[in-house]
Amino acid sequence: MDSDLSSPGVMAGTGGAGHPVLEMAGIRKTFGPVVALDGVDFAVGASEVHGLIGGNGAGKTTLMNVLYGLYKPDGGTVRLGGREIVVRNPRDAINHGIGMVHQNFLQVDSYTVAENIVLGTPQPSFPALNLREAEAKIADLAERFGLKVEPRIPVQWLSVGIRQRVEILKALYRGARILVLDEPTTNLTPQEVDSLFGSLRAIVDEGMSVVFITHKIRETMAVCDELTIMRDGLRVATLHRRDTTTRDLAMLMVGDEQTAERVAAVIGADSAAIGAGSTATEHPAAAAQLSEKVAPRVKVSGLNADNDHGVRSVHDLDLGITRGEVLGIAGVAGNGQAELAECLAGVRPLSGGEVDVDGEALAGRLTAQWLAAGVAYVPEDRHRDGILPGASIIQNLVLGAQRSTRFSKHGLIDWPAARRHAAEAMSAYSVKASGATAAAATLSGGNIQRVILARAFAHKPGFLIFHNPTRGLDIASTQFVYDRVREATAEGTSVLLLSEDLDELTHLADRIVVLYRGRVVAERLRGAYDQYELGRFMAGIVEES
Amino acid sequence: MTTLTLSPGTVRAGASRAVPYVIAVLLAFLVSGVLIAILGHDPVEAFRAILTSSFKSSFGFVETVQKWVPLVLLALGFTIPLAAGKYNIGGEGQLLVGATAAAGVGIIFADLPMVVLLPAILLAGVIAGAFWAGIAAWLMDRFGVSEILSTVLLNFISFGIVDYVASEVWSDPAAGHPTTIPVGDGALLPLIGNPSMHSGVLLAVLVAAGTVMVMKRSVAGFELSAVGANARAAQVHGIRIGRIVVGALVTGGALGGFAGAVEVAGIHGKLIEGMQSNYLLLAIIIGLIARGNALAVPFVAFGIAVLEVGASAMQRSAGVPSEMVLIVEALILFFLLLSDVVGSRLRRPQQ
Repeated sequence: MDSDLSSPGVMAGTGGAGHPVLEMAGIRKTFGPVVALDGVDFAVGASEVHGLIGGNGAGKTTLMNVLYGLYKPDGGTVRLGGREIVVRNPRDAINHGIGMVHQNFLQVDSYTVAENIVLGTPQPSFPALNLREAEAKIADLAERFGLKVEPRIPVQWLSVGIRQRVEILKALYRGARILVLDEPTTNLTPQEVDSLFGSLRAIVDEGMSVVFITHKIRETMAVCDELTIMRDGLRVATLHRRDTTTRDLAMLMVGDEQTAERVAAVIGADSAAIGAGSTATEHPAAAAQLSEKVAPRVKVSGLNADNDHGVRSVHDLDLGITRGEVLGIAGVAGNGQAELAECLAGVRPLSGGEVDVDGEALAGRLTAQWLAAGVAYVPEDRHRDGILPGASIIQNLVLGAQRSTRFSKHGLIDWPAARRHAAEAMSAYSVKASGATAAAATLSGGNIQRVILARAFAHKPGFLIFHNPTRGLDIASTQFVYDRVREATAEGTSVLLLSEDLDELTHLADRIVVLYRGRVVAERLRGAYDQYELGRFMAGIVEES
Repeated sequence: MTTLTLSPGTVRAGASRAVPYVIAVLLAFLVSGVLIAILGHDPVEAFRAILTSSFKSSFGFVETVQKWVPLVLLALGFTIPLAAGKYNIGGEGQLLVGATAAAGVGIIFADLPMVVLLPAILLAGVIAGAFWAGIAAWLMDRFGVSEILSTVLLNFISFGIVDYVASEVWSDPAAGHPTTIPVGDGALLPLIGNPSMHSGVLLAVLVAAGTVMVMKRSVAGFELSAVGANARAAQVHGIRIGRIVVGALVTGGALGGFAGAVEVAGIHGKLIEGMQSNYLLLAIIIGLIARGNALAVPFVAFGIAVLEVGASAMQRSAGVPSEMVLIVEALILFFLLLSDVVGSRLRRPQQ
């Protein structure tokens, strides 16, 4: 903490053009045979928000974990203010003024905001713990950087956005001059993202530096001064934001022109959706009109669902999805999406209501009968709900269809047919694995999702349910998922897309409904999407008239 | 038998998987050899007795094969529920109620001809064993009672049943130990082969082969291992977990009951208190050494049967207490489990 302002680099730095505060040179890190970082150079100046962008597995987080002392690099040097330093553990990093906010917050739920922030720092504790001074300091930091929190509230009562503020304050309280944020916008509403970006600006205006790890190009363009793009453990480029375009960035991230074109087109469309605010509210009734005009292929009426603790999570929900339509469900996680998805997949028993698919009433039937009726489910938690980790790709592709005539004969599994199917599916879905007998658990997230998609599409579904289908996937796999969704709808499949990613929803969905506390609070048609308005609905701020 | 493997990759993997087994067996013999030497006996003589008595005489071989029967059946009865992640620790209770039912039918209908009586007592044993495990399965499915606890407790109840039946209902007072009167001649398994052994051996071979087939190739076996691999994912994909798990436990119990009936019809000709020997303990060791692989169970069971038969020969010829064999078996399992730890340490990349 004593390195606060005495660090020479901090004093010297005046904007991105100055001498860098932090220089990492030739950082190399391997995990067994895998080269995660291959001689990466990375430099951050004072008063700059430096975007560290790249797809999943590009090495962004690994590089920052090296900086924070979580990984020991195999080679390379770290210089802070021109002086070489060795960071052995996070405590060293904090002493050097480096703070990091991880994707998963490390907080004690029952402790207050102030207690969480000071945890592990020396505090006056005789005759009793006295946090008044700490609270004053926290209030001062919160004021200066627009990170408003109530210090005496237990963190378990706070939303994800506020808990993130706590985490940032924790780093600042410990005297961080370089703040690393790992994918900080996951699970935030657009309003919360804006507020976060405002705070980051305030932080760099005081001469500190921020490293912003992300895979979202649009956010990079919104907040970063400098950008470093990584791919496959290498630094591909470092650029000024004003010298680049979303298309260039997509190209650099993906490394494949064709995919980059489409990625850039997606981002362009989303940016348009953000600005559509003024026209958005003009046709609030259009959605209802449309759904009445065409008979829906999937009809949900009066659906009620309870969570695992028996608490009602979805209330009297009515939905209709026509042939070839993508219905998007927006909402902050925990507003009934998981229960809704599982109910509509036939996995969770309905606590009330009806579900019809192609005229077949499915409520109360066995899961296997839902599958047979053409319902396919791509679950949110791939590892928990989607795969048999120790089983081979072949076996995973059979799962759910083991009783169908495709794979079974006289009660025995037809393994030769299963092997043939696996070979075809792996080439059609570009599954990268050592072979069809590789255990599913050894695959990357993107390849696991491809196996799950191959399985879902193999039984020609009439109704597909996707829950956060691209979470944690790299750009190429994300694009792959989007392409499959398009193909499915072109063949008349009805798709329900539950996602916390508004970009994804505005890109794919023909219609978006917002779920808040288990109820539909708004419905918008394509062309009338306004992410800020949707964000307000997601936060439960606006009641639709 | 390799045609039963799912894919060519498993054959290669099988070869590399054999290495820790060989090392574990060698280390177990080495350590127990040291123990035998410390006790003041000759380890070479002891091991010679253990390993050769099954093959030196036709009597030894028959004894080994007949000991293999209850071991392989109970071990499969342990392995089937294990594939779904459930522990059937009730093998001896299932064996005993199976034996009791078989003996009861064999005594009550002693005059029936073999064509009727023999199938009847075998079936009685199977049904009784299935029912006994079914109690535990029902308690688990309906009330969430741990199957480990209920199967173990049902063992104790079965001891009481055997005691009652053997000393009160059909007691043979001349035996001097709780024992029933003999079953009818039609209830005895005929002898086959030369050297001759009871034909229950043949039945056990068929049952073991059938079990392996069901576990590795059938739709039910696939669903069973899917539940064991990831119950959530299995459920999401339409597999009814409760049904699979109950079915696995009941099937395991049926195998235990069948073992009991074969013991009555092939070995004892009556119900004897204590006839369960230490089969359950050995069956669990077999199932764990086989790592739940049904295909490996018959072979591991044969190895354990050889050790068990060799144990008394060792006591006779080298003066080493026959319990030493249990130590050898436990050490094999111990070193095998240790090899998992060592293996994962070696494989883990350095951070």
